[in-house]
Amino acid sequence: MLNWSNFAAQLFNGLATGALLALISVGLTIIYGTLGVLNLAHGALFMLGGYAGFVAFQATHSFLLALLAGAGFVMLAGLLIEWVVVRHFYARPAEDQILVTFGIGIVLVELVRAAFGSLAQTMPPPAWAAGVTSLGFLIYPTYRLLVMGIVAASLLALYLVLYRTRIGMVVRAGIEDAGMVSILGIDVQRVFLLVFGIGAMAAGFAGVVNAPIVSIMPDVGDNILVECFVVVVIGGVGSFPGAVAGGLIAGEIMSLTAMFDPSYSAVMLFAAMTLVLALRPQGLFGVAGRE
Amino acid sequence: MRLASSDVRRRILPELALALVLLLAPLIAPWVGFTADLLSRILVWGLFGIGFDILFGYTGLLSFGQAAVFGVGGFITAYLLTNGLIDSVLVALLLGTLAAAAAGVLIGLLALRRTGIYFAMITLAFAEMFFFIENSPLAAFTGGENGLPGVASPRFALGGFVLDIRSGWSMYGFLAVCFFLGYVLARRIVASSVGRVLIAIRDNPLRARALGHAIGAYKLAAFTIAAAYAGLAGGLLGVMQGYMPPEAFTFDTSGQLVMQTVIGGAGSLIGPLVGAAIWLWLRDVLQNTLGLGPAWKLVLGLVFVLLVTFLRRGVVGGVQLAWHRLRPPPEPVAAAVVDASPRAEVVELHAPVRHPLRENGPALEVTGLSKRYGGLLANSDIAFTVERGELRGVIGPNGAGKSTFFKMLTGEVAPSAGQILFNGQDITGHGVTDVCQRGLSKSYQINQLFGRLTVRQNLEIAVLAERRGRFRLDLWRPAARVPGAAARVEQVLALVDLAARADLPVSVLAYGEKRRLEIGLALATAPSMLLLDEPLAGMSPQERVETVKLLRQIGRDRTLVVVEHDMDAMFELAGRITVLCEGRVLAEGTPAEIQQSRAVQEAYLGGVHAA
Amino acid sequence: MDEHHRNDTDGMSRRAVLGGLAGGLLLPTFAAAEDAPIGTYPAGATGDSVFVGITVPLTGAYAAQGQDVRKGFELAVEHLNTGNELIRKLSPLTKRGVLGKTVSFGVADSEAKPNTAIQAQSRFITQNKAIMIAGSVSSAVAVALNKLAQREKVIYLPGISGSNDTTGKDCVRYGFRTCFYGYTAAAALAPVLAREIGHNKKVAYLTPDYTFGHTVQQSVEAFTKGFGWTTATNQVAPLGAPDFSTFLLNIANSGADIFVDIGFGADAVNSVKQAKQFGILDKMKLVVPYNTPFLAQQVGAQLMQGVYASSDFWWTYSEQNEIARMFVAAFEEKYHYKPEFGADDGYLQFAFWADAVERAGTFYPPAVIKAYEAEVRRPSTVGEVYFRAADHQLVRPIFVLRGKAPAAMKGPDDYYDIVELTPGASVMQPPTLFGCKLGPYT
Repeated sequence: MLNWSNFAAQLFNGLATGALLALISVGLTIIYGTLGVLNLAHGALFMLGGYAGFVAFQATHSFLLALLAGAGFVMLAGLLIEWVVVRHFYARPAEDQILVTFGIGIVLVELVRAAFGSLAQTMPPPAWAAGVTSLGFLIYPTYRLLVMGIVAASLLALYLVLYRTRIGMVVRAGIEDAGMVSILGIDVQRVFLLVFGIGAMAAGFAGVVNAPIVSIMPDVGDNILVECFVVVVIGGVGSFPGAVAGGLIAGEIMSLTAMFDPSYSAVMLFAAMTLVLALRPQGLFGVAGRE
Repeated sequence: MRLASSDVRRRILPELALALVLLLAPLIAPWVGFTADLLSRILVWGLFGIGFDILFGYTGLLSFGQAAVFGVGGFITAYLLTNGLIDSVLVALLLGTLAAAAAGVLIGLLALRRTGIYFAMITLAFAEMFFFIENSPLAAFTGGENGLPGVASPRFALGGFVLDIRSGWSMYGFLAVCFFLGYVLARRIVASSVGRVLIAIRDNPLRARALGHAIGAYKLAAFTIAAAYAGLAGGLLGVMQGYMPPEAFTFDTSGQLVMQTVIGGAGSLIGPLVGAAIWLWLRDVLQNTLGLGPAWKLVLGLVFVLLVTFLRRGVVGGVQLAWHRLRPPPEPVAAAVVDASPRAEVVELHAPVRHPLRENGPALEVTGLSKRYGGLLANSDIAFTVERGELRGVIGPNGAGKSTFFKMLTGEVAPSAGQILFNGQDITGHGVTDVCQRGLSKSYQINQLFGRLTVRQNLEIAVLAERRGRFRLDLWRPAARVPGAAARVEQVLALVDLAARADLPVSVLAYGEKRRLEIGLALATAPSMLLLDEPLAGMSPQERVETVKLLRQIGRDRTLVVVEHDMDAMFELAGRITVLCEGRVLAEGTPAEIQQSRAVQEAYLGGVHAA
Repeated sequence: MDEHHRNDTDGMSRRAVLGGLAGGLLLPTFAAAEDAPIGTYPAGATGDSVFVGITVPLTGAYAAQGQDVRKGFELAVEHLNTGNELIRKLSPLTKRGVLGKTVSFGVADSEAKPNTAIQAQSRFITQNKAIMIAGSVSSAVAVALNKLAQREKVIYLPGISGSNDTTGKDCVRYGFRTCFYGYTAAAALAPVLAREIGHNKKVAYLTPDYTFGHTVQQSVEAFTKGFGWTTATNQVAPLGAPDFSTFLLNIANSGADIFVDIGFGADAVNSVKQAKQFGILDKMKLVVPYNTPFLAQQVGAQLMQGVYASSDFWWTYSEQNEIARMFVAAFEEKYHYKPEFGADDGYLQFAFWADAVERAGTFYPPAVIKAYEAEVRRPSTVGEVYFRAADHQLVRPIFVLRGKAPAAMKGPDDYYDIVELTPGASVMQPPTLFGCKLGPYT
């Protein structure tokens, strides 16, 4: 449907879906940027966040507590995963890292399935954010508007942590040159542990934020993961601003394609990524030479 | 039946072992719970994996999109057979394979412009796009999510005798023959010069390129070969089960292939088969023997994590490692003794040269050469002429732009302005491969070796570039049979005094030996002009003496340009010396002239002051 | 070696050894002699028990539905082996087991992938001598196993398979389907929709991008056309998309009166929930032409109230039908929830298979198939039914359901009213319409 009001609506919707994609992708890119590990368990951590939030919500009926619980629980899970498995893989080839995190992802998904079954669970948005809001040019779910705010706030918070604190400085130094960090006498092991924890936390947080929109199911992370890859690659692997920009671009591509032919909306994402890589190999915000 | 020699026997041992395993499998299978169907599937995955192993295990390119070509081969074959366009299963398989190879060329042309994670992502993107096309716009031809049922089985008429391949063991037999042929073919490919170059690309793509191999073309060849294997395997999957499933195109297929290859052991050709056997067998055991219900996948995930964690090189790699531990290779110690002894040279050893120094005129003429990196001017307006047979030294304080200058000469870096004439021909911006093929080669300041290969194999890579040119698809000729190659390798081995260490992996060499091999690599391409970037860096005084001697020797047959910090060695070796400072030519002259030049002294002293 | 084979694995090794040694020279030359070996017969029917191979998705997006189907199968096996009263109403000749043999079974995870399902069933056929194979939640698997069944000459019974093709262009002699499909779903639903909602409506479709989605969409469009319904928009969404916002936004702006959601499984759950978020369910009437088992449980009664859906079975039918009552009671006692239509189809499939075998008096597949094709009418959990000989589709009533308001629910599982029970014969296409050619018996 091609008309101005639909165009405006889809443009806005692209922004909203893109914001969510950006939030999920940020964790993936931070981990890759610092540790050089493409974490295929990221989708599973996202899913785990949804379930942790769901359990907390069942117990407390507080959306805020669910958010905190989801993010906190997945951070702990992330720390554990780094400590037990991933840290033994830093010196190993990329494919080993990819495969072991893939395996961890399977384990997490199937553990959740064993505990909660395969039926979708529902977590409602906060009562005051249910329903729709009229923006004049379109009527939009209030919760999705709230999500845009949450994403903006949390990305800002993450930005401040990464760019305005000592710990963030260390992490960014790690992204740029992990060898340098160790020369500076900083315990790289602990930085890596922390970064993996933060990346996992971002995934878990996104999982809870996403829960009222998409059903909580064991397989919910699988489809998201591939989209996140595309986002990260478009934005530039390992780049924080790249993940944000990539998320928004991906959201717009899917939304705007749907105006012409909805069935092409997913495949256009891949076409766009291929185009970006052909024209600008390091992604939009990526550092050249990093692969 | 006795084989001609133990050498031949050893060479075809893997083929014989595989034939034996494939023959015995049906007899052993029922004992360990493998059905004909399961073995057939393992063979299809194994064949798919052979191609992928050439791409990933040998060439080092991790693709997440092999499903694209697997699906193309599968669906083309299945479409031709189900629509009665082609009667012969073999012809349909061949066409499917060719279509997949063509798709491979197409995808490869785009995807191979990138490496690492980006390469993986582009291949993944193509697989997703192909899946979409199969599932959506072409659903009328491919059956969409229902796939293509009713794919015919092969039938061979030999005279009055009809061989009708149906499901079960006859299908296994057919697939076993296909796999065996595929394996034999792949072994030929891997043993050929192309195979050697692919391994070199995996280990050190930049050096492979600098030695004169057009690595882009070789990568495309590997990608296409992998695609052809994938296409054949895809076609066989449809033929095997009489049904072409749509999930052939999905990410799961690509992912499972990677998993099986890594579990089985990459770089072994047989690894993917072993990995497939383990993976499919585990499924069966966990579900049927142990009856875990939905928990089977949880256990599989755990087993998988453990396998990846503890079996570093896969099952095949683990077995090889255990085998080598049980049967240690012949003592390499003797070599070290030889190494300590004085050089056994004395005799006249000549290094190969591809363009004898007969013509007239300078070997190298550089005019107005500049290189700008953003706002930084690394080299500016350099004029530089080297006569044939000359041994020229280039010196200069740190940051003088010597490395950039060398990189422009060899074509590794394109100049911003200026012209480079080599033997009177313009080579400006020609690229390092082409420049090397014309006879201008460089040894690096920091060793650029093929770390997982032996000394001999390292040199072989360089010699093959000179013998075969930038690119040649001689897949059937073993690398060892390239005319003159073996002799050339021996010649260089003797020259750089590594003959006794020839069959050791590079990783165990001492630093000085690696340095000599570094020079040897450049030398083995038979350059008429050799650039040496700090050949003496990091050497002990004794090693320096040896190396200076070596440089003199190789300088007899060719033009040499040496960048070196060791002034004493430089003044002793070089006929003339050029001094670079802040990206410009500061002075040029005989060692004596340079030693007395006030400008040069100031430049160096100035450098000291500044520091 | 050969001798050992024979002792060890009996019938299979006959294939194995002959096939292996003769290189597959075995041509299907045997005439229709009653006991000529075919498929897993007689090897699979010589002992005290017969084996049945079941593949359903236990993991992945269709796992919940797969488990439901599996439970239906398992309950039927239990009833057969104990000679339960309920199963004997569907299969009157049954005493204990099938032809006096205990039924044993194996379950494998198909992950809803055709290839995986074929692999698992091939194993059951060769290794376990499965006399019958069963199970599916998606038509892709059903079609693939149909072809496997025909090739291996082993009877196959799908669980859930909504595509017209399963007993249409991809039908086989060896496959029998009990569940409804896109064409019948739409045909049964359309008159009810016209009656309950009215004529001349504008419709927005959300169609998952695969053959099943497109067929259902086309069927609904065709059947409602007569009532003046027109298409406002048809949003084709990629399968398995977690976020439907872009498509729902188009639907919200389409000016339609009716929202027809064709998604199945997780797609249905997500799209219905998100349609609510976009306010679509407040201004349009939701219609689910091919209901997903557990949809109401997963999205909640609040969203499902007033929604029209067609289905294979709904448990409150037990108030009207004694067999349905017995089935729901037995199922709930064993599994502690009300059976969905997947479980019902699973149960019916096995009961009717037992009936056909008992009537044939042998496991010899061609004889069993002919017993199926005798079009014998049997009572069932959904009323009187029979298999159509021409395409092996069960002629059965279609349930048209309407979601209840939460206040009107008599219990936690009381999500729907049964608005209509459309007789099967009235909504089925002529067997030749979808190009069914059943293929040979041997």
